[in-house]
Amino acid sequence: MKILVVDDSKLARMFLIKTLRELEPSAKVLEAENGLEAVELFKVEKPDAVFLDLTMPVMDGYEALNEIIKMDTKAQVVIVSADIQAQAQSTVLASGAKMMVPKPINSEKMLSVLQQLSI
Amino acid sequence: MHQNGFTDDHLDMLRELMNIAMGNATASIADLLEAFGKMHIPQIMISDMEGLDGYIQQSIPKDQRNYVTKQLFGGEFSGEFLFVISEESAIHLGHHLYDVDQPSDGDILDAVIELTNILSATMISRLTEELHTKVQFFVPSTEVVDGNALISQEDIINYHRIIIISTQMEFQHQNINGQIFILTKDGMIGSLKDLIDRKLEELYA
Repeated sequence: MKILVVDDSKLARMFLIKTLRELEPSAKVLEAENGLEAVELFKVEKPDAVFLDLTMPVMDGYEALNEIIKMDTKAQVVIVSADIQAQAQSTVLASGAKMMVPKPINSEKMLSVLQQLSI
Repeated sequence: MHQNGFTDDHLDMLRELMNIAMGNATASIADLLEAFGKMHIPQIMISDMEGLDGYIQQSIPKDQRNYVTKQLFGGEFSGEFLFVISEESAIHLGHHLYDVDQPSDGDILDAVIELTNILSATMISRLTEELHTKVQFFVPSTEVVDGNALISQEDIINYHRIIIISTQMEFQHQNINGQIFILTKDGMIGSLKDLIDRKLEELYA
């Protein structure tokens, strides 16, 4: 399983990767610190799933999501964001994200996410 | 290593926790306004007290009239919550909340106080929850001042160093924007660092 984790905060990425590894120790994890890096990595690595933050410099998560879905309409993108507004959720779901999870993500939420993804 | 023993990890953790806190606050305000708020990346700065004045002046024009609400909070993490909203934005807020074309001064003040209460309670509570501590809130005060009078000598005379955590509240379609500053001073900087250290230990465990 290959997972791309995208967040401008190094510690937020570390938290997420730690939680992921508790459940999927063998997962190969790629990291990006903004949307642009994520889009470029997605193009080359074709990960099985992407955990994507929304509020980031250079390219935000909304734009990165659109670019990724343009490349692969079946891409499994999970939005992990502090923005818990209903409109943010409806926007990303309409753009093709599989689901949206509020930060911080814990083991229980991660388990639920992994069970819902087709990976 | 930054000043006061803060590392890049401390600043990154504080920025991320602030982001989570602001996400909760934005959602609460979005419900109140029935609107969508744009999230911004929080900024963290460690400064001397003269730097605070300069930092605030960068964000808020000197000649802009503002409603400024200050609220102290105390506990293991203590400091001051400062919310600055321009007079123009405050009028839009009053207009939106009271559904009247020309809100009275009283309506505007009530609207600003209501908004600030939600912002400070949601943000500080969420921030302290993430830091596994609790705080007590003191009664806030609101005044209307020019941009160049936001920080008085009285505010800064007894302090040497300060952590400024700042972010922006932006409801673009309603023309409602505000600046949020959380100020933590002197001895409390060490206390905040200890709380972040505990959080970092969870990560590296």
